[in-house]
Amino acid sequence: MVNPVLLIAAPLLAAFAVPLWSLISGRSARYLPVAVLFFNLVISLLLLPRVRLEPIRVIIGGFPPPFGINLTAGPLGIGLAALIAGVGLLVAFSAAGSVRGGRGEKYHSLYLLLLTGATGVVLTGDIFNLFVFFEILCVSSYALVAYPGDRPAVEAAVKYLVQGAVGSSLALLGIGLLYGLFGTLNLADIAGRIDSVEPTRIFLPLALLVTGFGVEAAIFPLNAWLPDAHSSAPPAVSAILSGIAIEVGLYAVIRVTYTLFGALSLLPFLAGLALLSLLIGEMSAYAQDNVKRMLAYSSIGQIGLILFALALATASGIAGGLFQLVAHTLSKALLFLAAGYMIHRAGSLRIADLAGMGRRMPLTSFAFAVGVFSLVGMPPGAGFAGKFLIVRAALDRGEILFTVLITFALAGTVIEGAYFFRVIQTIYFRSAPDGGAKGEAPWTALLPLGLLAAAIIVLGVFPRLITGVLDSVAGELLRGTGPGGGGLP
Amino acid sequence: MNFLYDYTYYLGAFGLVFIGLYVILTRKNLIRVIIGLSLLETGVNLFLVSLGYVRGGTAPIFSGSGTEAAGMVDPIPQALVLTSIVIGMAVLALALSLAIRLYRHAGTIDLAKIRGQRW
Repeated sequence: MVNPVLLIAAPLLAAFAVPLWSLISGRSARYLPVAVLFFNLVISLLLLPRVRLEPIRVIIGGFPPPFGINLTAGPLGIGLAALIAGVGLLVAFSAAGSVRGGRGEKYHSLYLLLLTGATGVVLTGDIFNLFVFFEILCVSSYALVAYPGDRPAVEAAVKYLVQGAVGSSLALLGIGLLYGLFGTLNLADIAGRIDSVEPTRIFLPLALLVTGFGVEAAIFPLNAWLPDAHSSAPPAVSAILSGIAIEVGLYAVIRVTYTLFGALSLLPFLAGLALLSLLIGEMSAYAQDNVKRMLAYSSIGQIGLILFALALATASGIAGGLFQLVAHTLSKALLFLAAGYMIHRAGSLRIADLAGMGRRMPLTSFAFAVGVFSLVGMPPGAGFAGKFLIVRAALDRGEILFTVLITFALAGTVIEGAYFFRVIQTIYFRSAPDGGAKGEAPWTALLPLGLLAAAIIVLGVFPRLITGVLDSVAGELLRGTGPGGGGLP
Repeated sequence: MNFLYDYTYYLGAFGLVFIGLYVILTRKNLIRVIIGLSLLETGVNLFLVSLGYVRGGTAPIFSGSGTEAAGMVDPIPQALVLTSIVIGMAVLALALSLAIRLYRHAGTIDLAKIRGQRW
């Protein structure tokens, strides 16, 4: 029996061990995150079959719930923890080779703190504890965005920090109101009693929490910080912010809406916002000539699509949304990493300057193309299965509203295809004016890129590998909304 | 007057929250925006503490045999506020150090004059 608490404790310990270790050996310290995240991946995969049968509850400090802080590791939590550890591992591996200079250990320390926060958010069973882990995630991501220390990075970090801090304060206010209403902070305990007060009194805390966590999830209109932060951060940081940080924000929004409040009436409103995020994100991405900004806006669009599916409130909608979440995490991490190496080679962020990359960096370009095809929703990428599940789920609702909404969502996907194929065309079918030197990314970069691309293809061809887990997750979330309440018993 | 007597702390807390939000939204000077963040956080912290406050209550310490839980303030919000103050301090410290960095790069902390900072 492995304790899920290790998933949080190991990276936290390692985050503080990295600077100490680097005093002894700077070279090996940067592989410590890789080792710890591999450990996390193994543990969460070992726990996954068990939590599908029954969630594991860990009591911390000897106080039984609802008094003490507890961890509630259900299939959703452990599944996301495995995704965080897996993608984090690959990104850490590519960063271990590329972060140079004496400040490397600070980067690795912050990186591990970010993943600690993300893992903590998905595993905790206590609303205030969720807030604390969320803050660990946010504060370390502000610092990571500012890490290069140049002007665009600092400007983006300031913007991100101010908006993020306001969001966090609003969420804390919501938590305070909940404590005032129920006298408890335990998620399951609050969820069980949510029906005992008038709906008008829980509206304010619900709105505050969704707004507060929605800033990190970059749901329209709270997404102003994202394009700057994701495009001026180093490639590995953009990969992890786009692949994990916003998904964790989305997790918090969904956990609060489904499990805590059982607020099904809010969901059509969220679906509308999600659709606006999707269309605005994709249209803004279309207008960009900077490849990283284009990817950043595309993340807003993708988050909109995922939230739309999750807001369908049916088992198939949730499963489709989470499938798309996994597909987006894998492909966006892949795209930001590959784009980072291509930008490094081209010496420019402009899409037009990536011309001829298909010949100059054949393997990196191929991985990039796999990511693009998956994200746009072409078979055999994982994005095809995700989008297919979402469309089917929306049509299964059988309501005019959702049929109309999914039509607009598909229009967004068409825009997405248009701008992504423009990049592919530039990379493969235009030659660089000066011919350009040939030179592949280092093998420490190619290995994670290859593994991410392989994971995308495998998931696209065999979606059943994870749909079983996703169905139990959908069950876990929807149980919270049924009579009796409390998806977390 | 009874209403004021009962709800003074809540009025103060939400007053601080709104002042903080107003400052963040209207000021262009980054230092003032950070002061606004600080006011907002203080307001939220004050709200949390007043949630558990019992008028005339004592500290929740079981010092002797005769102490009863009835006259004590709720210790949980106080624990939350301690955590939240520490988090707030970290955010403010990071914000101020970023402000120093921004000043070195841009030569100003007036957000309206820095391209890409208008929102």
